[in-house]
Amino acid sequence: MMMENPFLMLIAGIVFIILVAIIFWPEKGIIPRRSKINKTNVRVLIEDALKHLYDCEYTNLTCTIHSVAGSLHISGNDAANLISKLEAMGLIKSSSDSLLLTPEGRSYALRVIRVHRLWERYLADETSISETEWHTIAEEKEHAISFEQANMLAAQLGNPIIDPHGDPIPSDTLQMPARRGIPLTSLKEGESATIIHIEDEPEEIYEQLVAEGLYPGVQVRMVESTTKRIRFSADSEECVLAPSFALNVTVVPIPKEEEMKEYLTLSKLKQGKEAKVVRISTVIRGQQRRRLMDFGIVPGTKITAELSSLGSDPVAYKIRGALVALRRNHTDHIFIEEV
Amino acid sequence: MRNTNHCQNCSAHNIGNLVKLGINMENFDYVIALAGNPNTGKSTVFNKLTGLRQHTGNWPGKTVARAEGGYIFSEKRYKIVDLPGTYSLLSTSSDEEVARNFILFGQPDVTVIVADATRLERNLNLVLQILEITNRAVLCLNLIDEADRNNIKVDERILSKELGIPVVPTAARQGTGMDMLLNFIHQVATGKYVCKPHRITADFPAVKNAVNRLSKKISETYLNLPNARWIALRLLEGDQRVIDAVRNNELQDLVSERSFPKDPSDGKEQNLNISDVLEPVV
Amino acid sequence: MNEKITQKGYSIIAEANMLRWEVGENFHDALMESIYADAQKIADKAVVMLGAEKKFGFDQTLDKIVTSKWLGFPLMFLTLAVVFWITIEGSNVPSSMLAALLVDTFHPALKTFAVNVSLPWWLSGVLIDGAYLAMAWVVAVMLPPMAIFFPLFTLLEDFGYLPRVAFNMDGLYRKVGAHGKQALTMSMGFGCNAAGVISTRIIDSPRERIIAIITNNFSLCNGRWPTQILIATIFIGAAFPAYLAGIISALAVVGIALLGIFFSLVTSWGLSKTILKGEASVFSLELPPYRPPRILQTLYTSLIDRTIFVLWRAVVFALPAGVVIWLVANIHIGDLSLAQHFISWSNPFGLLLGLNGVILLAYIIAVPANEIVIPTILMLTVMTLGIVDVSAGTGVMFELESEMLTKEILVAGGWTTLTGISLMLFSLLHNPCSTTLYTIYKETGSIKWTTVSALLPIAIGFAVCFFVTQIWRLIA
Repeated sequence: MMMENPFLMLIAGIVFIILVAIIFWPEKGIIPRRSKINKTNVRVLIEDALKHLYDCEYTNLTCTIHSVAGSLHISGNDAANLISKLEAMGLIKSSSDSLLLTPEGRSYALRVIRVHRLWERYLADETSISETEWHTIAEEKEHAISFEQANMLAAQLGNPIIDPHGDPIPSDTLQMPARRGIPLTSLKEGESATIIHIEDEPEEIYEQLVAEGLYPGVQVRMVESTTKRIRFSADSEECVLAPSFALNVTVVPIPKEEEMKEYLTLSKLKQGKEAKVVRISTVIRGQQRRRLMDFGIVPGTKITAELSSLGSDPVAYKIRGALVALRRNHTDHIFIEEV
Repeated sequence: MRNTNHCQNCSAHNIGNLVKLGINMENFDYVIALAGNPNTGKSTVFNKLTGLRQHTGNWPGKTVARAEGGYIFSEKRYKIVDLPGTYSLLSTSSDEEVARNFILFGQPDVTVIVADATRLERNLNLVLQILEITNRAVLCLNLIDEADRNNIKVDERILSKELGIPVVPTAARQGTGMDMLLNFIHQVATGKYVCKPHRITADFPAVKNAVNRLSKKISETYLNLPNARWIALRLLEGDQRVIDAVRNNELQDLVSERSFPKDPSDGKEQNLNISDVLEPVV
Repeated sequence: MNEKITQKGYSIIAEANMLRWEVGENFHDALMESIYADAQKIADKAVVMLGAEKKFGFDQTLDKIVTSKWLGFPLMFLTLAVVFWITIEGSNVPSSMLAALLVDTFHPALKTFAVNVSLPWWLSGVLIDGAYLAMAWVVAVMLPPMAIFFPLFTLLEDFGYLPRVAFNMDGLYRKVGAHGKQALTMSMGFGCNAAGVISTRIIDSPRERIIAIITNNFSLCNGRWPTQILIATIFIGAAFPAYLAGIISALAVVGIALLGIFFSLVTSWGLSKTILKGEASVFSLELPPYRPPRILQTLYTSLIDRTIFVLWRAVVFALPAGVVIWLVANIHIGDLSLAQHFISWSNPFGLLLGLNGVILLAYIIAVPANEIVIPTILMLTVMTLGIVDVSAGTGVMFELESEMLTKEILVAGGWTTLTGISLMLFSLLHNPCSTTLYTIYKETGSIKWTTVSALLPIAIGFAVCFFVTQIWRLIA
């Protein structure tokens, strides 16, 4: 009979579980890490460099070996080698002080960008992965899946045209619209605008912006804009940002006459009260957004808070004759006007 | 055989000359699609017509096991296909794909839309979407008894006028109104009743131009297309199935098939067989 | 002609793509808005409300009661308790009648018949002692409770009460990344996990549905209750004075069931945070109006759709398992049967988990249905001990009327209170039966999720049994 010292067995058991965790833990374990793509892969470097050049071109900045090295986190020497390789491949050409994309280089860059943005869109619409992880995952996927696979993904998603950060997704024929909008810092005090884009790099700034509740589609009104700080309301919540952070937010001003009033959210509607839906925030996206609309929640819909569940979340609302339960994380993003 | 005779004679089933065929539905003359929101009693209607006993629960979105059945009415054999219950045809869920593709590309002779009389407004969303893509439909206004209980009165004549299709108030659980439903299906299938389906009228201020430009281009290319505007709307929403249909000429086939009157006797081929899409659970 | 049109088709699509940039992303929203605008216009014309909407109608009042802070939870538990009580009370008699008929009468009759037509002993062993007996056992134990439980559940469903339960429970389930309807599929799992897995169809969000499927096995199903009750009575209840024994063993069983609910919540949370992050999550829950249930139709459909359907699957799996059970006990290599070889080989590992080789083998060969685990354990124990007078022959499963006699056999097989506790835990935390696994495969269409559903609970079971055993030994 096996009757080893139970104390030793306990320790052995715990050690075993820790070992298994170290090896298999999702994302951070040894095996999940191994299956990730090696970042120093040549293909990855080439594609990232092209993307950087395209970014410069799109935003009218000058691109140099130095900026390539900075953006890819590689040494100046490696960057110079990479650039000469790209030139030999006919993807870029260097003029006196800057690097430029050749047409081939541009379409290569656009393919990679299309895959990246489609993948972000997929993560946003079809999975429950949080927004701060979208960019990192898409950074890996853009090098791993082919353009054809990306097109199939696009078809599945209903051929989206804008990624969740508000960037346009190049079409399958690699068309891109012109850049729109102004940085949030250029908005004057008292003016209103709609956020159309949140830059997702660097990650620290992006996380901060997300934490403030800023997404494409959010309406902002500038309260105070100085060189020290930018104070504004975003969908009725007040936000304060450093100008360097606010630069990463692109907005399109709203003409005075179309300006939106500030609205209550549905979660604030008291039981038994009726209201009219004004807008569904773009934070609710993908299938969830469509499902809410299927239930008849569109601007103009009359909605009554009817019944609260035991834990007071979810709440059941009377919508076009039907009783529909909604969770607070959705009703927080549905704007209403009391009637 | 004894069973069907029995059914024909008993008072509860004395509906014209209905013979329920269950799942025996060879050599049918007409194909009927049964669409509707979840939990509107769609399966009950299906069971009443075919004599099958599919399970129905008081649950929105109860998935069905078997989806086809048949019956004979006025000497015509009908095959009836119970589509998955959906709230809409515009979203991307697989159930909606199945329902949408069957109505649009499967070319049923009549689409019966089951709606819940107590929540008509919500149900009209799907009704209007279906009327955008088919010319032959009957609205089965179900749960009329429940509406009565809740003091809701629906005027089916006004509704019929507004929608341009026959509207039949029913209480499928009790079997009320089924005879009229059968009659109207028959009339629409045989072309005695010509529908003038309602098309979505409201303007989209933001997108009107785009829709108009595109639908003009489409109707110039495909003459006789019943609803070019709907195709334009779908293209603008990036619907891959419709994009493919435009790319590989399926649209042209739809036009030519529709422009000739159909001969019901030539057991016609389905572009899409529902049983391929809806895998039986067993 | 065709080519020309194809070309035109491509130019239409190109134009559409260009226009899509112009109209932007809000197109779907705008379209839905205008459809509903039309819907509203039409409804306003066609619908007349006779008098004001009833604010305090039957539905509204009932809704207020079932979601009220004071009555909501008690009502829920009371309903569930009543359903279980009726199931247990109602199925006792038919179950023993079926057992008397199928196991005690038909089985000997078949054996006699086999002798009369001089069937070879091994053939009558495989077919009658193996396949037939396994099937008879499954039917006798499974049919009556399912035939009572499912219709009751379906009646509540038809009436419209269950969506309210989902509504009330959603707050809790949201916190573990699941859907409130999982409370219902879990309750259904108490009847039968395979039926519970099928019932997850009511959850239309992909991520939450897979969570509900994988965790359904943590609901102590109908096939495991008898095991729990038997073991609790003879190993836990017996340790207390007679007047407490009944209540203590009942509490132990309820404790195991609650532990199952606990594991189902924790596992849901873990799954939603790790491997299921990549699945879409869409919340929707509509509360349908109450409708008077139709009792006869419900009886019919739930009998056909659920009971017979699940029972048929279980029988299909039990037949070959019965054959395997008989064969492993009767095929000999050297002096010992296959079963004895495996038992002595796996015994050390079993002891590590507080179990033994017999239990491990029983759980492997009785995988089709938890109902036949105890008969298999008894058969194997008797075989290893070499006792001949209690069973009808080697490889023939049996159960004993007397709990004392059962206990004597098990204790002779080396069982202690620890074995009892470990078995109760392992009976809760092990892979789903093959009927359920097959159903999971059918419902998800995925080998991956079926594998996870099988391996996850067994890994948890091993871990829990191991630590409980070592700590028990440390203390005792």
